[in-house]
Amino acid sequence: MTASNLLLIGAPNSGKSALFNKLTGLNHKVANYPGITVNVGSGAHAALPSWTLWDFPGAYSLTSVSAEEAIAIDSFHAALDGGETSLVAIVQDATRLDKGLTLSLQVAREAEQRGIPTVLLLNMMDVLESNNLSIDAQGLAQELGVPVLPVSARTGGGLQALSEFMTDSIQRHVIANRWENAPNIMLSGTAQQLAERFMPEGNLLVRRQTQLDNWFLGSVSGGLSFVVIMTLFFQAIFTWSAPLMDGVEALVIAVGESLVPALPQGMLADFVQDALFGGVGAFLVFVPQVFILTLIIGVLEDSGYLARAALICHRPLSYFGLTGKSFVPLLSGVACAIPAIYAARTMSSMQQRLMTYLAIPLMPCSARLPVYALLIAVLIPDDTALGGLIGWQGLALSMIYFFGISMALLVAAVVSRMQSREEREQPFILELPPYRSPIVKPIIRTSLNRAWHFITKAGAVIFGVTVVVWFLGYFPNGGSDLNGSWLAMLGRVIQPLFEPLGLDWRYGVAILASFLAREVFVGTLGTIFGIEAADEDVAPLADRITESGLTAASGVALMVFFTIALQCVSTVALLAREAKSSKFAVVMMGSYFLLAWIVALLCYWLIQFLL
Amino acid sequence: MSEPAGSTAGTMTLWTLRQGRSGVVSHLTSELSEALATRLTDLGFRAGQRVHCIHQPGFGAPRVYRVNGSTYSLDNQLAEQVVLIDDSTS
Repeated sequence: MTASNLLLIGAPNSGKSALFNKLTGLNHKVANYPGITVNVGSGAHAALPSWTLWDFPGAYSLTSVSAEEAIAIDSFHAALDGGETSLVAIVQDATRLDKGLTLSLQVAREAEQRGIPTVLLLNMMDVLESNNLSIDAQGLAQELGVPVLPVSARTGGGLQALSEFMTDSIQRHVIANRWENAPNIMLSGTAQQLAERFMPEGNLLVRRQTQLDNWFLGSVSGGLSFVVIMTLFFQAIFTWSAPLMDGVEALVIAVGESLVPALPQGMLADFVQDALFGGVGAFLVFVPQVFILTLIIGVLEDSGYLARAALICHRPLSYFGLTGKSFVPLLSGVACAIPAIYAARTMSSMQQRLMTYLAIPLMPCSARLPVYALLIAVLIPDDTALGGLIGWQGLALSMIYFFGISMALLVAAVVSRMQSREEREQPFILELPPYRSPIVKPIIRTSLNRAWHFITKAGAVIFGVTVVVWFLGYFPNGGSDLNGSWLAMLGRVIQPLFEPLGLDWRYGVAILASFLAREVFVGTLGTIFGIEAADEDVAPLADRITESGLTAASGVALMVFFTIALQCVSTVALLAREAKSSKFAVVMMGSYFLLAWIVALLCYWLIQFLL
Repeated sequence: MSEPAGSTAGTMTLWTLRQGRSGVVSHLTSELSEALATRLTDLGFRAGQRVHCIHQPGFGAPRVYRVNGSTYSLDNQLAEQVVLIDDSTS
């Protein structure tokens, strides 16, 4: 059996990746948001294993307008020139023939020039059929000189015919060579004529979309919907994922409790309990949150709403040098910077992506929450106002969240002002895809994959740092006294750094340890102050810290420091990879540390002056 | 495809099209880079094509246009470079 290669290409949002998933059974990021495919995906055809499918990034034409598009188009040309392509399948949205038909003709021309057979897949036929609309596929095939197969990535309709074409008809297929020498301008005109001639009758799809847009983009209803959807989004991240997070935590504890007693007492048992189950276990708790976040973003993307949200947010974000497309990554950053950095992949411009990367680590991620909870419990009395309607601690939490978001926008605004006007003011053009009910199965699969990726990629780094921190905290006295450990010694060495903020070596050690993951700060302080399980209930530790005489100025300075500093090795590692620059990530970490220290010091001085 | 238009002041552009109205594209100005002009043309914003303004949010936010069966959001930087034929009948 000889190996065959099928190249899939089509306009953004033509359902190309969904088709790829259906054909290969593989998980490839699919969403109803233009430009989601930013890498070339590949996989074996599920029913025809000798065929490898290649999913190329969506393109409106073979003429690129950005460096990213140029890379995608060049990779497609390289695949055509490689001499190993058996078939090119152009995916065309049947509901919007005008969009993508120019690309289809350009691809047909390129394939003809190289003697490679081409097939046009009219995708989303199920949408047409459900609206009693149809397309004359045979007539279109005659005009194009390319076989046309009506298919549906959603239902799988027509895919059997595609398989038959790949295995059988392709042997007898004769390339028409109709477009071999046609210039782009001619192809563009022909595409327009063909679209007008073969476009399905009726405007049902347009009418339905207009009605929904009237609601979701209306000045009152649109704003209201946005607030409701985002409130539900936050609820899902913080409240709905809580039972799953509790479940993971209980599982980690149960496994730890059953395993550790079976080990011989000593260093190994201490390592397994503290480093493995304490350090890595604490990070595993966040996996359900990453899963739920990805799931909900997937549903919003696939439904078509996310592009509308990007449009709604574009103007306000543009004042800060960001774009509407930054909205989802920033929002995701409220849960965790890791999925947020992944979410920025949907942005085609690297310039805009870097600006978004700058803002993401300043968003108040959930790992900061235990730190805020502890410090708020230390600093703010647990009282209420307005007949119990407003709690002071809750208000303080809102304010620190607001401060974090403001810092993210401020930093982006300042950095964008350093760019040239051309770099700063890039034109905004965004396709608003039709509203559709989301295809849940691939979204669940993507979410599971993302959670697994989080475990394997971020987990590996976290494990490495955990071992180092544990080692420093355990030796030289065998874990009997943290105060006499190398970690404490290191804390005393860096004490002068935190002294201006009124913080002693104990906070220095906790801050050092928190570079592993911010929430480790609470557990480390708990160990130093001799409070067990401080990360599960912060109240006893908060009491002990209050007794130890932490001043309000120092407490606020510490909170401000945590709001700005980039203390997350997983985030730094991922930033280096996604930005394709370790320097970018390291400079960012150093700059945010410096900024955090300066702003914290200013706050410290201000509060001391006021009190 | 593109014509030297100098300034679009006083001419009817996509940005001046009101919500619920439609217009026919006359040309794209030379202010646009070749790549952006090609992209707009590929998307359907080409001479002779009728474009509908679906939404016109306030505060200078990008506006929403429908051309053929597709919907796009364009900001003023781009929409001001798409010149329409001045037919007030639409």
